[in-house]
Amino acid sequence: MSVEQALLPPWLGWTLLLGFSVLWIGLGAYWGRRNKSFEDHALAGRNIGLALGSATAAATWITSNTTMLAPQMALQLGVWGMLAYSTASLGLFLFAPMATRIRQLMPTGYTSGDFFRLRYGRVAWGIFLAFTLFYSLTWLVSMAMAGGILLNTLSGIPYGWGMSVILAVCVAYTMRGGLGAVIGTDFIQSLIIIIGIVVVGIAVLAHVGVDEIHANLSRERPELLNVLFPAALMAIFNNLLFGLGEVFHNNVWWSRAFAFREGLAGKAFALGGLIWFPIPFAAGFIALASGALDVPVPSADMVGPLVVAKVLGIGGAVGIFVIVFCSLASSIDSLLAATSDLLTEDVYRRLLRPSASPETLKATAQWITLGLGLFTWVVCLPRVGTLASVLFFAGPLVGAMIWPIVTGLYWRRASTTGAVGGMLLGAGVGLVSYFAIGFYVASLVATAVSMVWVLACALLSRSRFDWSQLREAS
Amino acid sequence: MTFSSSFLAVLVYGSLGWCTFTALGLGGLLIRDIRRGEIW
Repeated sequence: MSVEQALLPPWLGWTLLLGFSVLWIGLGAYWGRRNKSFEDHALAGRNIGLALGSATAAATWITSNTTMLAPQMALQLGVWGMLAYSTASLGLFLFAPMATRIRQLMPTGYTSGDFFRLRYGRVAWGIFLAFTLFYSLTWLVSMAMAGGILLNTLSGIPYGWGMSVILAVCVAYTMRGGLGAVIGTDFIQSLIIIIGIVVVGIAVLAHVGVDEIHANLSRERPELLNVLFPAALMAIFNNLLFGLGEVFHNNVWWSRAFAFREGLAGKAFALGGLIWFPIPFAAGFIALASGALDVPVPSADMVGPLVVAKVLGIGGAVGIFVIVFCSLASSIDSLLAATSDLLTEDVYRRLLRPSASPETLKATAQWITLGLGLFTWVVCLPRVGTLASVLFFAGPLVGAMIWPIVTGLYWRRASTTGAVGGMLLGAGVGLVSYFAIGFYVASLVATAVSMVWVLACALLSRSRFDWSQLREAS
Repeated sequence: MTFSSSFLAVLVYGSLGWCTFTALGLGGLLIRDIRRGEIW
């Protein structure tokens, strides 16, 4: 987007960008002083309290997708679009009891990879690593790319510069401060995002009432109020399963389960879900107001910022810039930390250097964080605009991992054959349906096929897993 | 069949109220954790 079309002048965008960059890096450096070993760096000493724990669960799930895509979904799918998006909070609610179980079964575990290796063996572990690394790197790249595009759209900062700065800042404070810095900054970022969304929502309502919005929609876009909107109803299931698969398998969430103080993991994730649940409504209804406010929307993904700029002027544009920047940072830093820990623990420590000291592992995790940042930067630089579809492509992969994880955590009969077959068959059939039918059924098909295989294998299995084997993770 | 204006109002005002409550709750939890020395 050209500088003339941007909502903020570039000098103001740069000032905000540099101000927050200094703040995050300073906090990361300050909090990183406590880290002496890999456990301190990767899991913040396993001692995170309830306030930081709840905030980080919510903040990590509030990606730029939430703040930008929720209005877009509301504009395209109406009231059901917001409801569909809010179902992603179920991932956090359902992971709450699982997190408690994970801490009980694996009190010294580090990663979700540890679970697959100890529960199902090396073949399943290898498949899991391939799936989760593909998904995590795709998510990381799409977030960094979204950062460059959004900063360019909001303030006219050139794409390459915006993407590079936000990535460099996240790499710097994650390298220095590890998960502690990520969780600490998540708390501040979550408060900024929530307060910002409330202020924006009140400002919109001050300009146009709900009755007026409803009347305008009834006249101009009645399908957005339709209780039986077919496309929106399908989006609910896909969004729900994608969210469940993402939270259940990804080390972003498992590392937090290991990092929270004993007895708090379940509570923190449940509170995180409660914090996250209203965000798609509060951020999404802004888009529904665009018609009543007479805001022209040239592109659906820009509806949120355009409405906010209309009702709040330059102050609103500053607010949306800060909200988007915080949303991006809270997801990019978590992905960098969790993926780096996964590579350090599951690849470097378990495959290459089993005798590495805690200090060496910490240094390795920091170098891997830097390497991930450089890899992401190189991939993002050409600005390929098709990565959203690649992320949807990963939907079947994460959907196929839901049942091996859930049954593996709770059912002694769950077997390696079930897990390996469930992941491969589910992902395979899911990908076929992705190309043959569409992205909106891919996760659903993958999850269903995986479920049938995993449950059938478990029912036929004669083996009974000994839970104490999971305690070997340290 | 369409969603009514009052249902939309419940969603909008409810979500904004909920967000306000959670922001205050998070602040309160942080103060409690700091006082107890349990922040991390």
